[in-house]
Amino acid sequence: MLNIFYGDMPEAIYNPSVYFKNVYDESWIVEPFTKEMIKDVDKSTVIGPRIIDSPVLGGITPRELSGGVKTLILIDHVPDKVFNASACGDNCAKWLLKIGEKRDVTINLRHIMDFGDEDFCIRVQNTGQLIHNMDELLPVAGKLVR
Amino acid sequence: MKGSYRIVVKNAVVRYDFEIRRNITIIKGDSATGKTTLIEMIREYYENGKSSGIELNCEKTCSVLSGREWKVLLSVMKEQIVFIDEGNDFVLSDEFARLAQESGNYFVIATREGLVNLPYSVEEIYGIRESGRYAGLKQTYNELYHIYGEKLYTETIKPEKVIVEDSNSGFQFYEKLSQNQRWPLYAVEEIPGCW
Repeated sequence: MLNIFYGDMPEAIYNPSVYFKNVYDESWIVEPFTKEMIKDVDKSTVIGPRIIDSPVLGGITPRELSGGVKTLILIDHVPDKVFNASACGDNCAKWLLKIGEKRDVTINLRHIMDFGDEDFCIRVQNTGQLIHNMDELLPVAGKLVR
Repeated sequence: MKGSYRIVVKNAVVRYDFEIRRNITIIKGDSATGKTTLIEMIREYYENGKSSGIELNCEKTCSVLSGREWKVLLSVMKEQIVFIDEGNDFVLSDEFARLAQESGNYFVIATREGLVNLPYSVEEIYGIRESGRYAGLKQTYNELYHIYGEKLYTETIKPEKVIVEDSNSGFQFYEKLSQNQRWPLYAVEEIPGCW
């Protein structure tokens, strides 16, 4: 399940892009799930562990992926850390939910992310509440972040 | 600094063309829209000028503020348009808010967090999108768009509920506004389990 801690969280990795640059493993990039995330969020195609074809920038390395997709890859591969998922736009929300379907994962959010119109199941760690849709989430998250 | 400033920045693959109107501008929106690419281009041009291979046209100097020494850097930035990428948590601090206000610079800040210490207009919150203009160019042409308030809704609205923060001025405003339309109006403090 996806667990979210809203607001300031000193132990969270605030700048996931810097962390990614220094810890990512090339094997992560060529996993099917990672390739799907990169294709969906960055519209880019993984050619190999060191090269990705971006429609705008041309050939790039994993270091030039978007901050959002780098954060998703870290959340998927580094379970013992909590990452600042406010580096992710709303177009990453469905992937956060998918990672949460694979296993228990905790993220830190400092803004109200739109998880879409479909039902979902997340836990707000600040209050312990289980949340099933945006109508339930807004009054809870709205008290914790602006 | 006062007034509006147009910024055009481009390299061989991407071009940005936009106008900054106020001292605080926020860029947010989806991932992979080019926020970091824009700010990196501004940084490379600032550091290397034309030898960067980047073209940047603006009446004012465009610079980038980041890192632990941000206060030292900010103290020497005058009459500039200062870009700050996400990942710089000093933008949340009281100290940054105070120094930014005193500096007289314009600031363009990429963040999705609410900057409660900084006064900025909802009209100056933008996303970046690919422009339909110049279709067919080899470059990807990007522009800023208003995330909130671009479209004015001019039709009659019939809200199911109107919820305001408390029973003070906001409540009185909507009470007056909805006088003949009988919108159900609530202060959030009246709703059990809310706030």
